[in-house]
Amino acid sequence: MKRLAFALLAVCLLAVPVLAQEGHPLKGSWLGTWAGNKIHGNDVLLVLTWDGKNVTGDINPGTDNIKVKNATLNPEGWLVHLEADAKDKAGQAVTYTIDGKIENLPLANRVVSGTWKDSRGNTGAFRIGRQ
Amino acid sequence: MNRVLGVLRVLGVLGVLAVLAIAAAAPLVAHHEPLAKFDAKKPIRIRGVVSLVDWRNPHAHIFVNVAGADRVTNWAVELESPIDLELNGWLKTTIQPGDKVAIQGLAARDNSRQIWATAVVNGAGKEVFTVNTLPPPMPLREQPPPKWPDGQPKLGSVAGGVQGYWAFPSATALVENGVNAPMDEWGLLKNVADAPKVAPMQRWALQVYKERQERFLRDDPMYLNCKPPGGPRQFQLAYGVQFVEDRARQRIFVLIGSGNNNYRIIYTDGRSHQGQVGGDDENPLFYGRAVGKWDAGTLAIDTRGFNEDFWFTNGGLPHTDQLTLIEKLTRPNLDTLKYDLTVDDPGAYTRPWSASWTLRWVAGKDMPRHICQENRS
Repeated sequence: MKRLAFALLAVCLLAVPVLAQEGHPLKGSWLGTWAGNKIHGNDVLLVLTWDGKNVTGDINPGTDNIKVKNATLNPEGWLVHLEADAKDKAGQAVTYTIDGKIENLPLANRVVSGTWKDSRGNTGAFRIGRQ
Repeated sequence: MNRVLGVLRVLGVLGVLAVLAIAAAAPLVAHHEPLAKFDAKKPIRIRGVVSLVDWRNPHAHIFVNVAGADRVTNWAVELESPIDLELNGWLKTTIQPGDKVAIQGLAARDNSRQIWATAVVNGAGKEVFTVNTLPPPMPLREQPPPKWPDGQPKLGSVAGGVQGYWAFPSATALVENGVNAPMDEWGLLKNVADAPKVAPMQRWALQVYKERQERFLRDDPMYLNCKPPGGPRQFQLAYGVQFVEDRARQRIFVLIGSGNNNYRIIYTDGRSHQGQVGGDDENPLFYGRAVGKWDAGTLAIDTRGFNEDFWFTNGGLPHTDQLTLIEKLTRPNLDTLKYDLTVDDPGAYTRPWSASWTLRWVAGKDMPRHICQENRS
């Protein structure tokens, strides 16, 4: 019975339709982690948009409200660079820099994977998936 | 013994499930650019005996048993759609189980036992299932377009008049006017190096377009997820387009013979692009919000409010929700519909650009019906 259940699960996973990715690749809501971030927590939410010239958006809107001040996407390799100025709980400034790469570009549930670092020398793995 | 039977039973169940999984996955690229599934660099020939004929849209298949040195294998041979085959005089019974056949075609990219047939020869040595998709011949003398009492040309058939629909677009993928970028009927470039010429794309859009092309258009959401062919794509489809002019309600319905058989409404009552306030006014749409206005013999349509969930042309040129389309429809004679388009999308393109093509009137017939979700259950 366990084998049958496993087989059914495998069939279901195989049959999940692949969704296409349309529009600007960075536009949308992204959910994931910036591992080891002790200031703003391990989980991260990004909402990004594209006005035809610039990518703009917010990190953790509604809670930390960190404005993305500089965002670029290099289509050669789909390299992503994000910068944002934030404040810690004491009100002290901290600047984040995120560098990553879009993976699974043709899919709607694509991923940006890379690293984050802050102006205090902290760094870690960064990974967000488009919702 | 019971243990062996139990294992065999489990293996049998797994086998059936595997077949179901393959069956569920295989139609994802159905009625698609054949090169998304089959490799032009892998020609293949087989000979065998037909075991089954599956005469269903989006593609007919014949299954062929091929005798090898030590065992018989069964191959799935993919043909054009039954619509195209029947338009060319072929029937489900043209080839029947037990018939000997020789197949020439392209092998599947995934090395499964599937073939895109380029030639099927029966046991008598006659080639069958050939398809000729030429438009009907133009009449020797041009006839004027039918008109409404107020002088506006009729875009489609009307009650009591000659029935028909528009098909055989002279271009099946968007390319900027004046550009020479050879591509096949699905919009697949013969040479991906031509991609920058097709339209004035921004860097990201060009890269997306190139990657869609390099993947042989297999991510096309119209085929993967049966998403509507919004924008000019509805005038590029294989099975045509039809207008229903509801003059009493001041709107024109645009019906499509393939895709997901959805429809578009062009309002001619002078309304704005806003939808129903508090209803769908904030909701971007697959067909956008289209308002049309007649100017002499030309219907000018301004459409905006598109979503980004579909490809607006065969071939996969990207667009964003900043897309505005200006379409101009004229019927210079009974048999011709002229379609002029200006694409303005500052989210994906560096400047507005234009494309034009014509469609042919197929008189006395109704549109064939072909739905992208057929044969998926």
